[in-house]
Amino acid sequence: MTFTQALILALLQGVSELFPVSSLGHTILVPALLHWQNVKRDNGTFLPFVVALHCGTALALAIFYWRDWVRIAKAVVGGIVRGRLGDGRDERTGWLLVVATIPVGLLGLALQKPVQRLFGAVEPAAAFLMINGLVMFLGEYLRRRQHEDRGKSYKPLEKLTWFQSVGVGVGEAFALLPGISRSGASMVAGLLFDLDHEDAARYSFMLATPVILAAALLKIPDLFVPGAHVALGEAVAGGVVAGAAAYASVAFLTRYFKSNDLRPFGWYCLLFGALCFTLARMGVIH
Amino acid sequence: MKILAIVLAVVLFVLGLLYGLGIVNVLTSAGHGHHIKHLILLWVLAVLALIWARFQSAPSH
Repeated sequence: MTFTQALILALLQGVSELFPVSSLGHTILVPALLHWQNVKRDNGTFLPFVVALHCGTALALAIFYWRDWVRIAKAVVGGIVRGRLGDGRDERTGWLLVVATIPVGLLGLALQKPVQRLFGAVEPAAAFLMINGLVMFLGEYLRRRQHEDRGKSYKPLEKLTWFQSVGVGVGEAFALLPGISRSGASMVAGLLFDLDHEDAARYSFMLATPVILAAALLKIPDLFVPGAHVALGEAVAGGVVAGAAAYASVAFLTRYFKSNDLRPFGWYCLLFGALCFTLARMGVIH
Repeated sequence: MKILAIVLAVVLFVLGLLYGLGIVNVLTSAGHGHHIKHLILLWVLAVLALIWARFQSAPSH
């Protein structure tokens, strides 16, 4: 992998991790489209690079929401010290995030490697990207039916039930499939549980922070297996670029979702997925 | 419920230890060996179970 390729992949990861378009799918499809035969995900140098990109992205998210995280951490620790679950907004949000993270962690640990071994090629990734687009259209359709046609009101984030929070976490776990977006799946789940776009996006991005960070930290032991070596320059530059791109993306998306919905991303996933699927079937990319 | 939470915490802690020592290999993709990720996850869940137990011990309001 050249330095330029590393920077492009970092930019792609930083943006596509938070836009609901699947970063994993894009890191399979874009190198295939550009015929980057030298970029191999199972290469020993690729893993440290991925760890750096994830750390950069998680750090950017943590910085963007640092005030929320400080308030939430204080409220959660206060609750533990008191020995009683309070009903404050921040404490409730904190525990909802913890509860939603559990299924993501369990399913991720049990299924990540077999799922990516089965579906980590261009055709399945393109097919799942199209499915991701359809899921966003379906989510928007069901939301409009509930709230615009039937007049049901939205609820604030802290009013999610524990069960609904687990549901959002399970939704996010579908992003183990290359082409299914982590933020897209959790946002759609949030919308189905009566959150508005702004709260669904906030919850999705906050939920992504510990998940992405844990994914990166849990890969660190793999760096010490024989054959793995760190290309430090690429990893550091990639982490910085991914972090900057992720910060700009979350800043843009939090504004975007104040008054817009998921449908443009649904169209993008359908069209880009269909293009890649067709090219893969024709043997142009593989 | 408090007893249940404590028992769950102990079970998760021991299970994590067994994964870490490589004695248990169920649901692991690498097969035999030390499963540090499973150990960390199970110990995190054990801590959460202890927090649950702590919430059960407070006087009700």
